[in-house]
Amino acid sequence: MTLLDMREITKVYPGVRANDNVSFSLNQGEVHALVGENGAGKTTLMKILYGLQKPDSGMICLKGKAISIKNPRDAINHGIGMVHQHFMLVPPFTVLENIILGKETHRAGVLRMEEPAKEAEKIMQKNGLIVDLNERVEDIPVGLQQRVEILKILYRGAEILVFDEPTAVLTPQEVDELFKTLKKMKKQGKGIIFISHKLDEVLAIADRITVIRRGKVVKTLKCEEATKPLIAELMVGKPVFMEVEKKPSSPGKVILRIKNLSRTSERGHKVLTDINLTVREGEIYGIAGVEGNGQSELVQAIAEHVKLESGEILIEEENILDWDVRTRRENGMGHIPEDRHKYGLLLPFTLADNLVLGQHHRPPFVKGFQIVDTPEIRKFARATIQSYDIRVPSELTPANALSGGNQQKAIVAREMRFEPKLLLAAQPTRGVDVGATEFIYKQLTTARDKGKAVLLVSADLDEILTLSDRIGVIFKGKIIKEFTQAEATREEIGLYMTGEQESA
Amino acid sequence: MNISILLDFALKGLEMSAPIAFAALGAVFSEKSGVINIALEGFMIVTAFTVVWGSIAFQSIWMGLLFALIAGILMSLIHAVATITFRVDQIVSGVAINILAIGVGRFLSQRIFAQETQSAINPYLFPTFHGINSFAFALIPIAFISWFVLYKTVFGLRLRTVGENPEAADTLGINVYLLRYAGVMISGVMCGFAAATLYPSRWINGMTGGRGFIALAAMIFGRWHPIGALFAAMLFGYADTFRIMFETKIPIPSQFVQMLPYVLAIVVLAGMVGKAHAPAADGKPYEMGEE
Amino acid sequence: MLKLKIDKYRLYELLSPIIGFLAAIIVLLIIVIVVGESPAKAVSAVFKFTMSTTARLATVFSIAIPLFFAGLAVALAFRAGVFNIGAEGQYFIGGLVGAMAGIYLRLPAFIHIPVVVLFSMIGGALWALIPAILKVTKGIHEVITTIMFNNIALALVNYLVNEPLSGRGTSSLEAQTHEIRKTALFGKLNNLFRAIGWNVPDHVYLDYSLIVAILMGILVWFLLFRMRYGFEIRSVGTSLDVSHYAGIRVKHIQIGAFLISGALAGLVGSQEIFAIRGFYTFEIASGLGFEGIAIALIGRNSPLGVVFSAILFAFLKQAGYGLQLYTSVPNAVIYVITGLMIIFIVVINEIMTRYIRALRKKEAG
Repeated sequence: MTLLDMREITKVYPGVRANDNVSFSLNQGEVHALVGENGAGKTTLMKILYGLQKPDSGMICLKGKAISIKNPRDAINHGIGMVHQHFMLVPPFTVLENIILGKETHRAGVLRMEEPAKEAEKIMQKNGLIVDLNERVEDIPVGLQQRVEILKILYRGAEILVFDEPTAVLTPQEVDELFKTLKKMKKQGKGIIFISHKLDEVLAIADRITVIRRGKVVKTLKCEEATKPLIAELMVGKPVFMEVEKKPSSPGKVILRIKNLSRTSERGHKVLTDINLTVREGEIYGIAGVEGNGQSELVQAIAEHVKLESGEILIEEENILDWDVRTRRENGMGHIPEDRHKYGLLLPFTLADNLVLGQHHRPPFVKGFQIVDTPEIRKFARATIQSYDIRVPSELTPANALSGGNQQKAIVAREMRFEPKLLLAAQPTRGVDVGATEFIYKQLTTARDKGKAVLLVSADLDEILTLSDRIGVIFKGKIIKEFTQAEATREEIGLYMTGEQESA
Repeated sequence: MNISILLDFALKGLEMSAPIAFAALGAVFSEKSGVINIALEGFMIVTAFTVVWGSIAFQSIWMGLLFALIAGILMSLIHAVATITFRVDQIVSGVAINILAIGVGRFLSQRIFAQETQSAINPYLFPTFHGINSFAFALIPIAFISWFVLYKTVFGLRLRTVGENPEAADTLGINVYLLRYAGVMISGVMCGFAAATLYPSRWINGMTGGRGFIALAAMIFGRWHPIGALFAAMLFGYADTFRIMFETKIPIPSQFVQMLPYVLAIVVLAGMVGKAHAPAADGKPYEMGEE
Repeated sequence: MLKLKIDKYRLYELLSPIIGFLAAIIVLLIIVIVVGESPAKAVSAVFKFTMSTTARLATVFSIAIPLFFAGLAVALAFRAGVFNIGAEGQYFIGGLVGAMAGIYLRLPAFIHIPVVVLFSMIGGALWALIPAILKVTKGIHEVITTIMFNNIALALVNYLVNEPLSGRGTSSLEAQTHEIRKTALFGKLNNLFRAIGWNVPDHVYLDYSLIVAILMGILVWFLLFRMRYGFEIRSVGTSLDVSHYAGIRVKHIQIGAFLISGALAGLVGSQEIFAIRGFYTFEIASGLGFEGIAIALIGRNSPLGVVFSAILFAFLKQAGYGLQLYTSVPNAVIYVITGLMIIFIVVINEIMTRYIRALRKKEAG
């Protein structure tokens, strides 16, 4: 029986058609996967279903009846629940408080906790989702936090459950547990929408698969007729492996050396354990791993002046631990940060200002008495815009008027123009279009060929495989295996990434 | 030291603490819901006026209190509309309201009492107990009720949610705006109570004397907790009482005694670990879904 | 084409202060009517008291000088993402330190005057130092610390002027310091204005503090928009994270901007101390620090904008006195209008931003 039917949904944002005539349906007792690249429109469609966004046109039917979902409350009342990519939990509250939030049991406004606790226990037993109800959410690991999210939805009696990239933050064991839970819920007749871009997982769990690209549904497949290459091709519109012309590498002396690096998070969790790696001149060292296994913390330790538990970071055999960001940059470190909106650009500033940011304090951009040499900055910016093909009306255009791809190009241009010895590239193509991706790939390989040391961190295994000369697999804060490009295969790296293959 | 001076000090201190403590409780509600409120001072200027005016006009302190509560709510609504509906910077809005309030107090005083700087004397007061305003005793139950409301009721749970993670509240169908309005409006109500304990016998321009700001410090010092804020406010209140009662008996110049609570506040804040206790979304405007 | 559109959006953004001001004026007229005065009489009262004669107009400019310092101080801190509510305390301390230099140092005038200016600035900066350090090292919000420091400053100068630094003579009842030496007093520029044909009468203070103000305005502009340090200040105020990643020493910048802000605030009282009174007292005009916040906001934190908004505030102050004098509208109404004007401006700004967003969306669709 059809539970849900979304028909011809269209949603326009400034500059993009996020959903263009999208139709999507879900049956009882079914897992229906929604796959597509970042920015393809999956999340928008689900936000519409959950009442967080209003569609410009289209309709939603529940069990054959047209309904209107104006806000999450409507969605919840219609039995729709969502496990968001970023958990919607209140960290200082207890698990139980988080579960009952919005559907509290009370007498004259005063909270009653016993009945909900019993009810929650029952749901936990039935679905095999065990959590300690009295712990504070901020004190439990991410995998358990996700359980709390699921419990929250089940507590509201949801019939339709949406999981937005649920495995991104999970260990393989936790993924297995999650899949067991999903199967249980399926048997109970619930409908599950599973959003992912990890094809193995999709093939493992889904009954039907809908592929979405640039806001449009490309195709809906039955699980039996789906194969990985087929889905991948539907997702990107051409064969997945981007062809990058690459000469064999000729690595020189060691630029970056990390020795026995360990780091503990502010909350006392060990995030990096005994990391050892080297990156040489003229090579790209790729770090492969499921997101959240310590990649961000590693990059941060190299780029920023943060407290470490132990270990050394050396650049050209000189210990840099006492250097602040500026000193590190002045000594040849470039950094393409993970989240460009948060860390990359001064959005209201001109592109010219942004292109010199980080080098703005050095000649030729300042002259005597630390006075800014504006003509010089503009000249430099114009040259950079041309050589890096940034599409922009003028160098004085504010950065926030640029498209995402051009913003990312601007950051790459800025970090490359100063000929760093070491380039840190964290998720360099996240959320950018194919054209810009190709451009960035070319820049990274050019940098390598010019003798720079590149440390590439990416959650996209294909990106790692395409670009890297050597690959280190990070799992739970440890580099558990290193490969050369020649010996690396998708399958084997995948096994290490998910921890199925323990380190030798 | 004899007992009667001690008792006198204890009671006088409570009276002096009450306006600061009420305002600090108001700040707790506002900030727990995610709205920084530096307009408490302004709220109090106006409520302090209306409590006097209402009492004189209706010949009853209770009517004065009612007027003070209404005035507090009206003032808080300005802050709420600006910061919640229009997502204006919360500190900017607070600064503007403080300026506005100075004008409102003086303007009304001029129109009603024909004097810009002070009102007529209000003879309709709460009964006194050992020479202090008996309404000050309401502080203790109200502080405990505040704690109960915040931590033991559905409303409190939801209010704290919108201050910690408004997005989560939104996805659960909890109305972020409504709760933040409630939080800010309760701070207006608390400033109404504060006015009833702040010399309701006459309104004088400038009589609030920065208590609204001290209340904010008390709230931070009290770690955003109603009981903590109560004790912190009492620290300030008693320090001030000490100055007034013993100024002439101690060899330190009175100005230094006067500085004491502020210096104390700085030292205490500097000694506190981080700002880990502020609600995570405190001060951050939130945009609910889409229109 | 794209360029044109950006200009259109800019225009909308610039409209909000104007609309906010007009809305506040409408409220003012409504109050005038409610009070039972005729709007025409009120307008004429305002005109008479602010612009009818050279003396009136010059008075507006004279009043604008301390307001300008206050606005400039707050604006510079804002640029670095620092909310300096402590200008109040900073100018009470700065003024006292400057006055001390004026009383106890013996110097020729051409050195003495720059020295008292410098000492005022150092005093203001010192009073900002602890809040600045507490902000960057302990993360204590400067709004709280500076408010505390304002209160401490008031008590401190009260003590100092009453006790160790008291110069109370037989003639004055008010606690005050000794007279400032003649060499440190700010002379008037009235003759200069007369020479260029603007007949400013002697009772209006257009003195050396005007020159200091112009100088500081230019220096701050140059710092913000022509110097590397200013670039870093603006960068830090725009995004702490981006600045940190770009290697900018964020904490240094915030401390530095806070101190410069304090130094500028230290000059707020200079006109009153060195030109008008000739001695220091804690009775100098208070509350200018808070007005500085409003002035900075309305001037959009730019030195030129602050010039205009300081003049606007001076105009409003005088307008208030005009209303008080010639009509039955109390002077206090000006505070009401000022408060409302700020709220109107920021709210309208927000509405404009939403409108622009909707427009962009439409164009994109």
